[in-house]
Amino acid sequence: MVQNLRVAVDVGGTFTDICIMDEATGLIRIEKTSSTPDPIEGIMGGVSKAGIDLSEVALFSHGTTVATNALITRRLPRTAVVTTKGFRDVIEIRRANKEDLWDTYKDVVKPYVPRRDRLTVPERVDAGGLVVEPLDVEAAREVARILKRRNVAAIAVCFMNAYLNGANERAMREILLEEVPDIPVSISSQVLPEIFEHERFSTTVANAVVSPVVVSYTSRLGERLANEGYTRDLLLLHTGGGVMTPASVRDFAARLAGSGIAAGAIASRYIAGLCGYPNSIGLDMGGTSTDVSLAYEGQSRITKDWHIEFGYPIRFASIEVLTIGAGGGSLAWTDSAGSLRNGPQSAGAFPGPACYGNGNTQPTNTDANVTLGRLGSNLAGGKVQLAPALARQAVEDGVAKPFGLGLHEAADAIVKVANANMSDAVRLISISRGYDPRDFALVAFGGAGALHGVDIARELAIPVVIVPPNPGVTSALGCLLVDMQHDFSQSCMVGADEADAADIEARFAALEEEALARLTHEGIASQDIVLQRSIDMMYRGQWRSLAVHAPSPIGAIADLVQSFHSEHQREYNFRRDSAPVSFFRLNLKAVGVVPKAEFAVHEPTGAIPEPVGRRRVWFEGNGLDTPVYERDDLPCGFSFQGPAIVEQVDATTVVPPGASAEVDKYLNIIIRVKE
Amino acid sequence: MAGDLPLDPVTFEVLKNSFITSVDQMGEQVLRTCYSFVIYNRDFSSALHDAHGECAAQGNQDIAVHVGTLHFTCKDVMRFFGDDMHEGDVFAINDPYAGGTHFPDVRLIRPIFADGKIIAFSQSNGHWSDVGGSVPGSFDVAAREMFREGLRITPVRLFDRGRFCKDVAHLVASNTRDPASIIGDIQAQSQATQVCAREILRLVNKYGRDTVETGLAAVQDYVERSVRQRIAALPDGEWETVDFIDRDPAGGEGMIPIRIKLTIKGDRAIYDFTGSHPTIGSIYNSAFGTTFSAVAAGMKTFFPDLPLNSGFYRCFEIIAPEGSIIDAKWPIAVTGFLMPFEKIMNSIYEMWSKLMPERALACAFNLEYLLTGGLDARSSDKPIFMFYDWLPGGWGGRNGKDGSNVTTACFGTGLMSQPVEGQERANPILTTECEILKDSPGPGKWRGGAGVVKTSRMLQAEKTVISYICDRERAVVWGIEGGLPSMPHGLTLMRAGGQGEERLGSIFSDVPIGEGDIFSRPTAGGGGFGDPLERDPALVVEDIKDDYVSVERAAKDYGVVVRTIDAELCEYEVDTAATAALRAKIRAERVAKVRLDPEVVAENYRSGAISVLDVIRQHAVILDWGTGALLPKSTSQFREVFERRSVAKWSAG
Repeated sequence: MVQNLRVAVDVGGTFTDICIMDEATGLIRIEKTSSTPDPIEGIMGGVSKAGIDLSEVALFSHGTTVATNALITRRLPRTAVVTTKGFRDVIEIRRANKEDLWDTYKDVVKPYVPRRDRLTVPERVDAGGLVVEPLDVEAAREVARILKRRNVAAIAVCFMNAYLNGANERAMREILLEEVPDIPVSISSQVLPEIFEHERFSTTVANAVVSPVVVSYTSRLGERLANEGYTRDLLLLHTGGGVMTPASVRDFAARLAGSGIAAGAIASRYIAGLCGYPNSIGLDMGGTSTDVSLAYEGQSRITKDWHIEFGYPIRFASIEVLTIGAGGGSLAWTDSAGSLRNGPQSAGAFPGPACYGNGNTQPTNTDANVTLGRLGSNLAGGKVQLAPALARQAVEDGVAKPFGLGLHEAADAIVKVANANMSDAVRLISISRGYDPRDFALVAFGGAGALHGVDIARELAIPVVIVPPNPGVTSALGCLLVDMQHDFSQSCMVGADEADAADIEARFAALEEEALARLTHEGIASQDIVLQRSIDMMYRGQWRSLAVHAPSPIGAIADLVQSFHSEHQREYNFRRDSAPVSFFRLNLKAVGVVPKAEFAVHEPTGAIPEPVGRRRVWFEGNGLDTPVYERDDLPCGFSFQGPAIVEQVDATTVVPPGASAEVDKYLNIIIRVKE
Repeated sequence: MAGDLPLDPVTFEVLKNSFITSVDQMGEQVLRTCYSFVIYNRDFSSALHDAHGECAAQGNQDIAVHVGTLHFTCKDVMRFFGDDMHEGDVFAINDPYAGGTHFPDVRLIRPIFADGKIIAFSQSNGHWSDVGGSVPGSFDVAAREMFREGLRITPVRLFDRGRFCKDVAHLVASNTRDPASIIGDIQAQSQATQVCAREILRLVNKYGRDTVETGLAAVQDYVERSVRQRIAALPDGEWETVDFIDRDPAGGEGMIPIRIKLTIKGDRAIYDFTGSHPTIGSIYNSAFGTTFSAVAAGMKTFFPDLPLNSGFYRCFEIIAPEGSIIDAKWPIAVTGFLMPFEKIMNSIYEMWSKLMPERALACAFNLEYLLTGGLDARSSDKPIFMFYDWLPGGWGGRNGKDGSNVTTACFGTGLMSQPVEGQERANPILTTECEILKDSPGPGKWRGGAGVVKTSRMLQAEKTVISYICDRERAVVWGIEGGLPSMPHGLTLMRAGGQGEERLGSIFSDVPIGEGDIFSRPTAGGGGFGDPLERDPALVVEDIKDDYVSVERAAKDYGVVVRTIDAELCEYEVDTAATAALRAKIRAERVAKVRLDPEVVAENYRSGAISVLDVIRQHAVILDWGTGALLPKSTSQFREVFERRSVAKWSAG
C-alpha cells in the first residue's frame, strides 16, 4: 500500500478543519466540518466526508483544544497534590498578584486542585540540593492510602528544591505507584526541573490534571484511526510548535495546552519562508479575537512566560502568541465620556454582527466592513447571507449619529480604531522587542485577517502582506508542517566568569541523551534528529534572562558572553560590556525532522481573469468603483492594482488603492502595500 | 456626550490607546532589564506627562502606591531645571517632600522634544534595592528624621544631552549598599523612558505636534468628565470614619487616629483629615504627596475601569492639617508612609462602601516587611546577605462574596511575593512553613480572605539582625456591616536552644539573631462583611473541608455546629438543630460580651481560658499579646469603632 497522504486536523470551537496533502502532487485540499461535543466524532466524520482512506495516510497530525478546554471549563478529574510539609498552599498563594489591579470584585480563578486535596509529607531538600530530611515513608504511605480512598484520578508530587535533587519525589512516586497503581503521577523534578516553586508546581499540577483527559482522548482517537486503517502514530501538536506521539503525551500532557494557537504561528512562519521572508508577523484575525505571532530569521519567538489562566503558569517552551480581543464581531461603542471604543466585547457567533439579522443592533467591525463595501453580502460561498441594510442601520445609530458623522465616515472610523488596536498589539510583539517592522512581511489570515491586513501593514510600515491560498484554514495547514519536537531545560545558575565549559558541555550532553532516547522511542532515525542548544543569560543582578543560541560543542564561554551582549543590545537597546554576566538556564530543543512534502508549484499561465463583479467600495471617504475577483479564478503570475476585492469561501482580501498585488507560484497573494 | 472631543473620534481614541501602550511598553522594558529584585517583583510605575508635567497616562499594571505622585515629581524637576532641559537629558528624583513616595522609589524623567520644544515627559519609577541609610534596604524603623533613612535625591541630571553623567550617577550609587546594581537600574530605567519617547515621536510624526499636544490634554479631560459624571450621579452628603496606627513609639499607650470626612458635593469629592494626630516618633508618617496618592488609589478602587491620569486627580480635594501624620514636612521620617497610606485606603473603602454598596469591601490585612541582614556563613568568604521579604494576606469580605484569599497588600496589588527557593539560594535561611493560616479570615456573612503564616530558621549566619515593619497588632483588621475582625499581626521569635517564644510584635529593628533561631509571622485575614450568624452553614462546611476554618471556630464565630463524619474523605455535616440553638444563644449574649470589663477579659486570656481570637472577636479588647497586659486606651478606641462597624449592624434575634 502506498502511503502518500498527509492529513492534518485542527479542531476549533466552531469548525473542524481537515487539510489533506497528496505527497505525489503537493496539492492540498481542505475539508471543513462542524465541531462536535466529542471532537473525535467531528474528526472522523470529516475524514469520511473528505473520502480519506486512512490506510493511505503516512502522517496524521492533530492540533487539539481538549487540554485547553478542560483547564478553562474546569471539567477535570479529581486530582491530588502531594507536597512538602509546610508548603501545602504554594499553588494557591501563587505570587499573590492579581490580573486586574483595580477591580476588587474580580478575582484570580481558583487553583486547579483545591486545598482539601493537597496533602503534605515530611521531607526536605535544601538550597544546595542536599536531602536534609529524607521522605517520611510512614507518612507517605498514609497519604497514599487516603488518596486511594478518595479515588483520585491523577497525582502531582511537588517537593521544595526538587529541581536540584528529585530523590524524595521519586521515592514518593514509588510509594504511590505501589499503593495506588494505575494512576498517572507527575513529579516536578521530571516535568520541569527548574527553580521557583510556584512556577514548577503549577506546571506539574497542570500536567497532572489534564493527563487523564488528554491520555484518554488521544488513546480513543488513536484507536479509532487504527481501526479504520491508519498504521502510524497519531501526532499531536504542542505549544512548542512541534508534534509528539501519544507515548510522550502520557508524561507531558500539559504541553498540549494551547496546541491550537501554535498552529497558526507555524503556518504563518512557513508560508512566509516559502515566499522568501524569514522575518514575518502572523496576523490571525477571527470572529472574536486576533492572534499575533512573530518569526525572526525563520524561527518562531519562544516564551516560557505563559499560562492558560492568569496566576497558573505553564512553564513549557511555547511559541509566543499575543491574543487580543479584537475580531470581526468586536462591538464598536461609545462610552459615557464620549470616546469611540472597539471591543473587547464581541457579538460572538450568535447573535453575531448586526448584518447577520439575528437581533444584535450594535455595530461590529464586520458591519463597518459591509457598510464600506469591503465585505460583500454573501459569505462562505453563499451559505451565509448578510443584510447590508441592517449593517448600515447599526453603524448609523451606533456611531454616525452620536458623533455627527456621515455613514461611511462612521464605518471608516470603526475600522480605523480596530486597526489601530491591532497595530498596537503588533507593536508590542515587534518594535518593543527590538524588531524593525520594515524588515518583515505580514501574513494575514483567519476569517478577517485579509480584510484588515494592508491597513495594518501600512500603519506599521510593513512593506508586504501575504494572503495564503486558504486564509480561513491556515491553522490546519500549520499542523501539517511540523516536526517532532521536544524541549528540555535545566536550571544552571552560575556566573560566566566561574562557568566551566566542560561542565556545561556535560549537562547539555545529559539533556541530549534524554532527547535522543525520547525521539528514538518515537521512531525517529538518528540522522533525522537535530538538536539546538540555547542558554538563558543575564547581567549579574538582573532578574529576567534572555535566550542566546549556543553551539555544540559549547566552545569558549567568552563567545557566549559576546552573543549575550549583542542580543541584549538588539532586544533592549543597551549593553553593558564591562558588567558581569550570569547563566540561568540551559535549553535544548530536540527536533525529529519529518520530511516535508513540497507544496505544488504553479506556472504562470498568462491568463487575465475577469472580475466576477464590480461594486462601490469606500476608501478614505471615497466610494470607488472596484473590481471583485473570485480567488479560485486568480492564476499564478496574475498581477493587479488596488482598489480590488478578492472573495473566496473562507475570507475576503482587500487591496486598497495604491497597493499592488501578485499571485505567486504557491498561489499566495503577495501585496506590496506602498501608497 | 459624543462630540465633546476636541479631536475627531478616531484620532482621539487612537491617541488615548497609544499613550497607554507607550507607557506599558516602558513598564515591560523595565521589568525585563531591572536589577532591583523589588522592581522585578513589580514595585514600579511609569507615566507619560504633558508639557506642564501633568500625568496623561499611567501604566495599567502600575503599583497603586505610586498613583497620583508621578506628576508631583515631574513638576519638581521642571521647577528646578526650568529652561535648562535639553534633548537627551534624563533627570532623577526621589524626594518625598516634593511629592515622591519614599527614598527607595527613584524616578527617572526624560523630557521629550518635538520641533525643538518639549512636548511631553516620560517617567520611570522603580523601588531600588537600597538607597543607603543606617539599615540594609533603607527601612530604619527607629529613624525620627530622614538623615538615617537614606539618600535624598532632589532633582539631578543623570544624562546631559545623551551623555551619561558618570560623576553624578556614581555619587548616587556610592551612597548605597549595591552600587553596581544601582548603575544597572539607572540604565534600565533611562532606556525605558526612551522607549516611551520613541513612541511619542512616532505619533508626532504621524499626527503632527499640535494634534498630539491636544491629545495629551484631551485624555485628561476625558477621564475628568467620566469621574465627575459618576460623582454627580451620587447623592450629596458627608461620611466620616477613623482608622488607627498602632502606637507612637515615642509616646504613651494609645492608638494614633487618622480621621477622614468625605463630602460629596455635586461633581466633587472632598477629603478632610481634620482631627488626625500630629506626626509621630517613627517612620510611620506620610508627607502630602503620599496622602494624596492614598486618596487617589483608594478612590480609584471604585472606578476600576477608567484610565489613570491627572484628569482623575482633578476630581477631588484634600484638606490636610499641617504637621499632622498625613502632612509630614522635611526632615520628619516618612519611609514607613505605607502604614498611614493603607489606613487611608481602607477608610476610603469603608466610606465608599456606603456610596457604592455593590462594590463594598471590609478592611484588608496590613502590609509587612521583614528585613534580615548579616554575613552568610554557608561559604568561607562570608558574603553580605540581605533577606527582604513581604507576605500576602487576606482582603476584606465583600457584598455577596467572600474576601480574596492570600492576595498582595492593598497598597500595590501588582506586587508579587517571592519564591522561597530563590530566597533560600541567596540567604542562609530555611523556610519551614509558608501556608494559609487556618481561622485567619475575619468572620462574616461573607468572610474575609485568608492570611498566611511563614516560619523560617536561620542557618549559618554571623552578625545578623532582624527588623520588622508592620502594624495592626492593635488596630486589628476590622469588619463592616456586622462582620468581625480577623486577628493581630506580629512576629514571634524562638531562640535556638528552646528558651520559649519571644513576641517581638509588629515594629522593631536591629534585633540580633543567630543560627538555629526561628522566626514566624502571620498575616491577618480580611475583615468580615455582614453578620457571621447569617452565613450559610453550607459555606462554613466547605471552609472546614479546606481547613480555612476549624470546627471549633465554626461554632464560636458562626454558631454553626459541624459533625465530622470522615475527615479523610472530607465528609462533614451541619447539626441543624444544634446550630439554631447555638446561634440563638450567641445572639442573646454577644452584645454583653463586647461590653465586658476589659480587665476581666485580660485575666481570662492570661489564665488560658480564652484565646487571642476570642479576645478580639468576642470582646473587642486589645492586649499586649506577649504579656497579656490590658491596653486600656487602645481597647476603648477599638471598642468605639467596633460598636459602630459591627455591633450596630447585628440583629437582636
